[in-house]
Amino acid sequence: MKTLVVAERKGTELRRVTLELAAKARELGDVAVVEIAGERYTPLPFVSALAKKVESEKPDLVLLGATLNGRDLGARLAARVGRAYAADVTGLRPAGNALELDKPMYAGKVRAKVRLDLPAVVSVRPGAMPLQGGAETPQVEKIEADGSAEKLTFVKLAATATGTKRVSLSEARVVVSGGRGLKGPENWHLVEELADALGGAVGASRAVTDAGWRPNEEQVGQTGKTVTPDLYVALGISGAIQHLAGMTSSKVIVAVNKDPDADIFKIADYGIVADVFEFVPAFTEAVKKARAS
Amino acid sequence: MKILVPLKQVPDSTVRVKVAADGKSIVTEGITWSISPYDEYAIEMALERKDADPTTIVAVVTVGPARSRDALRQALAMGCDEASLITVDTAAPLAVARALARVVEEAKPDLVLCGKQASDDDQGFVGPALAELLGWPHVATITKVITVDGGVELWREIEGGHEVWKAPLPALATVHKSDKEPRYPSLPGIMKAKKKEIPERALSALGIEPSGPTWTVLSMEPPPVRGGGKILKDGDAKQIAEQLATALRDEAKVL
Repeated sequence: MKTLVVAERKGTELRRVTLELAAKARELGDVAVVEIAGERYTPLPFVSALAKKVESEKPDLVLLGATLNGRDLGARLAARVGRAYAADVTGLRPAGNALELDKPMYAGKVRAKVRLDLPAVVSVRPGAMPLQGGAETPQVEKIEADGSAEKLTFVKLAATATGTKRVSLSEARVVVSGGRGLKGPENWHLVEELADALGGAVGASRAVTDAGWRPNEEQVGQTGKTVTPDLYVALGISGAIQHLAGMTSSKVIVAVNKDPDADIFKIADYGIVADVFEFVPAFTEAVKKARAS
Repeated sequence: MKILVPLKQVPDSTVRVKVAADGKSIVTEGITWSISPYDEYAIEMALERKDADPTTIVAVVTVGPARSRDALRQALAMGCDEASLITVDTAAPLAVARALARVVEEAKPDLVLCGKQASDDDQGFVGPALAELLGWPHVATITKVITVDGGVELWREIEGGHEVWKAPLPALATVHKSDKEPRYPSLPGIMKAKKKEIPERALSALGIEPSGPTWTVLSMEPPPVRGGGKILKDGDAKQIAEQLATALRDEAKVL
């Protein structure tokens, strides 16, 4: 099988998901990795450049990360080249002249296996196909975004106060999320300090983003991000079904809540019935110590 | 300004989805159906434009089975002006986009707002595909739209903030969130919606084939059940914190 992997970069580094896709594509057969060079992602110039590449190379499969940009680019590319498309898959196996895919549906409440005929375009959830051993950096061919296709004008970047220092939520190996139990945005330093001690990203429940305590982009759950980290720590989150849909595939789940009947304890590997204000600072210290020794 | 919101009727987000006896579909008997959550945000965003400028017309459309009429009725009750239904039991995603493209050509909206993805298949295909078929620019996952000279400013949420793009009209955007939570239908809204006509056409009457590249579902299963694990409760906060950190490092091996 011939696979074209679409690379993405965060800053100067290739995103981890790109390495995961390249490794998966090597298992399947021939691989080419392309990166579309442009100042920032914008659909028409990126789709035009990529569609030209797809039409000339005729790969059986185009693989993208199911990231913010990858999902958008993949959908419009599939429509342009008239190929079958599956988004945000978590498993991928060749099956004759087709692929068998693991495809979460109904916001993670159902795991489907689907057959998708080749040629196809597929976006893969970051972290779903973890790298075995060290990541081999693939050779990346750069192609230019087709600026002549642009119809939009970039106006400005409006940064949120939280900035972008931390790892991205959907790719993080550790996620620490806060809920209403934190009582207000002024207490978020507890979440952030623990996330920093663990080297992870910060998330939030919908109650928290709806209340404006934290930006929307940090929301984990049905109308927010789906995350699959090695470790998910839920602080003061009761565990509404919509929140669970976004994090239940995490490898290890830790929940801290003072309500012993909170639903989050039904899925947590480690539960602590405690006040977050008392427990979290102690846990942050314990993590620093455990990581140092 | 005329705004068109294509929507999809899906199982309500509070429904505990169950796999049917055939092992490749879900139980739909007796469940509550609703407008897909991101489509509700798109409707709310359009209605916020209408609140600001009452000359704005907000139309909704869906391509789906006959039961989808209820979702259109709900959108009218929220305050949308017009609704239309294109019936088909199942259609490939590209066929849905083709039908919507036809509706756009007829209705000539200035702006099309789609939910960023439907909460059943979680694909996020139809919005960008519709823009592609129309040859329009699109901006994905926006949280704000502002009318400006010569078009609209679309605020796209990215890691760490927003990118602001200006699009000439007509344009399409997929919606991640609206400023406010989607409004509930008001009682007068419900009464008014009951009286409104919802014209209906079959997909075949538009001369559009329901076929197109798509997948075949082989099987469906619920996600593996996670049993509750250990509750750590011996000692004070500091001692429990240390037990937990040690367990995460030595037992779960995630530190």
